[in-house]
Order: sequence, then structure tokens, then C-alpha cells
Amino acid sequence: MDIVVILLTVAGLLFFFATTVGLLRFPDFYSRMHAAGKGDTLSSLLMLLALALYNFHEANLANLLVAIKILLIVVFIFMASPTATHAITDAAFESGVKPWTKEPEEKS
Amino acid sequence: MIWQLDLSILTLIVICAFATIMVKDLLSAAIIFGAYSFLMCLLWTEMGAVDVAFTEASVGAGVSTVLFIAAIYQTTRKVGVRKSGRLLTKAVALVATLITGLVLLIAEADFPGFANPFTPASLHLSPYYITQTLHDTNVPNIVTSVLADYRGFDTMFETAVIFTAGLAVIAILRRFKKEDRCDIPGPYVISEAHPDTIIRFIARQLVPFIQLFALYVVAHGHHSPGGGFQGGVILGASFILLAISFDFKMVLGIMSERLNILLGNIGVLLYAGIGFLCLLLGANFLDYSILSKVLPATDTIMARSHGMLGIEIGVAIAVMAIVISIYFNIVSRGKYDKGL
Amino acid sequence: MQSIISDYNYWVYILLMMIGFYAMLAKNNLIKKVIGMSIFQTAIIIFYVSIGAKEHATIPIIAHGHGAVEAAIDVAHYANPLPHVLMLTAIVVSVGTLGVALAICLGIHRRYNSLEEDEIEEQLQ
Repeated sequence: MDIVVILLTVAGLLFFFATTVGLLRFPDFYSRMHAAGKGDTLSSLLMLLALALYNFHEANLANLLVAIKILLIVVFIFMASPTATHAITDAAFESGVKPWTKEPEEKS
Repeated sequence: MIWQLDLSILTLIVICAFATIMVKDLLSAAIIFGAYSFLMCLLWTEMGAVDVAFTEASVGAGVSTVLFIAAIYQTTRKVGVRKSGRLLTKAVALVATLITGLVLLIAEADFPGFANPFTPASLHLSPYYITQTLHDTNVPNIVTSVLADYRGFDTMFETAVIFTAGLAVIAILRRFKKEDRCDIPGPYVISEAHPDTIIRFIARQLVPFIQLFALYVVAHGHHSPGGGFQGGVILGASFILLAISFDFKMVLGIMSERLNILLGNIGVLLYAGIGFLCLLLGANFLDYSILSKVLPATDTIMARSHGMLGIEIGVAIAVMAIVISIYFNIVSRGKYDKGL
Repeated sequence: MQSIISDYNYWVYILLMMIGFYAMLAKNNLIKKVIGMSIFQTAIIIFYVSIGAKEHATIPIIAHGHGAVEAAIDVAHYANPLPHVLMLTAIVVSVGTLGVALAICLGIHRRYNSLEEDEIEEQLQ
């Protein structure tokens, strides 16, 4: 049980790290939002799942309620975070932020 | 008291504080301030102050950021170019800051160590609260019992302060005439905000659950972190979410200005009314144990618990109404015609 | 080393207070001053909360099972709740003050059409 918790936490951290690297290194606003929106949601899911499983060291009803509450937080994040990403990207599109296009390579 | 976690969060907090006051764009400053508030909330959770962290998460990282963005929306977004001649002011400010910081650091040398269980602050009055709260009031959350029962007088005036702040904002900003003497054109609108299906749908789905959760926070404040203020702010934030995702006029149709101010009044009146009821029944002001004569089938200890629940409900109603009212006034510049 | 670990927290809180204080005095823009005021307020709140923190202590909510048996409550086991109560009041009052401060900024902007302190002083003369 502990191994599963550790694996889930490490996976969540890896996805968070990938999100941050993408946020800093991508060339364009839209690709950065893409990285932030998706990576955020998935890594939150993994880490909260790890916390919910860690709770089960002693299996009784109170711990089951706590695990259910943590999973409800996951449901809320799944609903709210992509909506927020969509709102930001939509606002940027309305404001006229142009997507990055690759410059045509010169043929010598 | 994990000092590694303390140190890392504190470093991030200092970086955020520097960044907030240094950036040239006010919108970025508001959003970095939201991140700073959230990091503060994390630090307080780690120190064991869960009620304070809950309040800061809802108030600081939630409503404060929205109020800043609403104010920036109505005024300019860019910080102006600094003209010359400010160097003397900055130098004097720096000297004053350094002198104050030095005085504080010299005073700090006499402090007891951090996270020491035997500091004088923890030895005189708080052991009574910690050991006696279950016996006196049957409420496990010590912060709620101290806030609502042992120090209930303070909390009543705090609710009055919130109400007065709402009144002050109305007095400063509210305009009723159609043409204004000193009117400036509205904020620069980039594009017409077309109704967005996804955001409206999700907001409409989420708002009932947010309000249900806020009512749960108010009611469960005796056993878990929570209470009247947090629940009231979350209720107000749900209305602000509706106003942002839908139209401003639509929320005005649901919660008109008159109803809003009436609710604010009812909240403060509920709090003072319960205290006055205790006075009428023969005990001191806000002494809830006398309420056992009015409430059926309770003894004096449970009557204190129920009295606390009553005033928490009053506080929640008042805070919700005032948060909504302040947001409405700031975002529409007092005219209540269009907003964010 | 022990004294540094037990003291550096207070130094950081004083640093935060001074950042907010400097922003209130020296910044030109009114909204930056309001942000500085908020930073100052939260720094004071964190200072008070740190007074109530105790090592190896849990949150100030007594976890009592169902039943009327009152176990002995160890005071050093719970964090000190009194600063938390005072700071709850402080946070809620601070949001009220923030609302009034932003309303005054909006009123000034409506009258003088600028949020910069030096431009407002020029127009006042």
C-alpha cells in the first residue's frame, strides 16, 4: 500500500514538473496554456489520489468519509480547472493574441 | 513545525511580495497578490492555524483578488511613467523603512524562540480555553468557541465594522442620477463579450454546490475548521461567480440592491438580537446559557452551543450581503448599469 | 545555529512588514500603495499566528470520540487558539478596509482622471 502511495505521489510530481517546464519553455501563449491546463489537472488528480489512499492505513468509516471528501475535491478540480483554462484562452483569442507560426525555412 | 517546509514557503512568499510591488502592470500585480495570499494560507496551515488559513483562502486569495481586478477594470491598467523629482521621496522612505526595521530587529532579540510550547503567550489564558471549552460549551473547535462565546462581544463589533465598510463604499461610490457632473468615459472595451456556453453551463452547475458547501461550512463550524465568516464569504463569492460568467443585470434581478442591504441589516440584527434576548431573559448580554429557558430540551451547556450557531448564521448572512454589495459598487462604479 | 533556526522566522516577518511599509510610502501609484497596505497587514497576521505555534502540536480542535468520557486534555498538545481568534477578526476587517480603500481610489480616479500621486498633487495646486 505504501508503494502505491509513493508511486502516485512521484508521478504527480513528475507531471507538475513537466507542466512547469512547459510553462517556461513553450514559444507561444496558447501552447503554454495547453501545458498548464492539462498538466495541472492531471497531477492534482494523482497527488490527491495518493493522499486518499494514504488515509486507509486503518480502515474504518471515518477514514472512508475523508477519502470520499478528497475525491470530491478531485471532481471539483476536474470541472473547474479546464473551464478556467478555456476562459483565459478565449479571452486571449478575443483580444487578438496571434498563435505562433513556424517561419518558413529558406532553401538555399 | 517542519522547518524545511517553512523555509521554502517563506522564500516564495518574499519573492511574491517583491514581485507584486515591482511589476509595471497592475493586472499582473493583482494576480501575483492572489498567489501571495494563497502561499500565506499554506504557511498558516502548516503552523496549525487552520481557521485563519481557511479565512485567508476565501477572503484573501478569493474576494480580494476579484476586488482588485474590478477596481483595475474601472481605472487604468498600466502604472504611469515616473517623472523625475521622486528621488528625494524614495530616499526618505528607504531611510524610514530601514530605521523601523532596525528597531524591530533589536526588539526581536528578546522574543522567545519560535514554536516553543512554554512561551508566556501560551501559559496564562489559553490553557483555560483549551481545557474548559468542552466542559463549558460542548464545542470541540476551540477557535469557534472563543470567537463566538468567550469573546462574542468582539465578534459583534467586527460584524458591525464589516457592515460599516459596506455602507462607506455605498456612500462613496453610489450614483443615482442618469447624467453625472464629473463623469469620465467607461473603461476601454476590447470586444463585445459574447455569451460563452461552456463557462455559463459550468457556472450554473457549480453554483448550487458551492452554496451548499458554504452552508455546510457555517453549520459544521463547531466541529471542523469553518464558521460564520468563511461560509459568508463563500456564499458571496458564489454570487460574484454568477455575475462574472453571466450578465451583471441578471444577478441584479436575483439579488437586488434593496434585498442585499436588507440581508446585511438582518445579519447584524440577528447577532445583536440574540444578545438582547439573553438580556431580556435575565442574564448578561450575550450570555447564551440563559437561552435554555426558551429553547426546548436543552440544558445550559447545549444552549451555549446553539446560541453560537445562531450568531454564526447572523454573521454569515451579513458578510455575504456586504461582500456582494462591495463588489457590485466597485465593478459598476456605482451606477449599477453594466459591469464585468 | 539553534538561535538562528529559532529566530530567522521573525526576521522574515520583519522583512515582509518592511516591504509593505516601503510600498506604502514610496510607490507612486495608488493601487500599489493599497497592495503594500495589504502586504503589511498579512505580515502582521503571520507574526501573530507564529506566536501561537507550538512544536509537535496539532490544530486546536479537540478530537473527541462519541461518548461522554472526557480524557485529560494536554495543553501543550494543541496550538494556542487565542492568536488565531484575534487574527480571524483582523483578516475580515482587512477585507472591509480593502473595499473602502479601492472605493476611494475609484472616487479619486473619477475626479482627477489619474491614479498617480504626483499628477494628483499637480492638479491640486
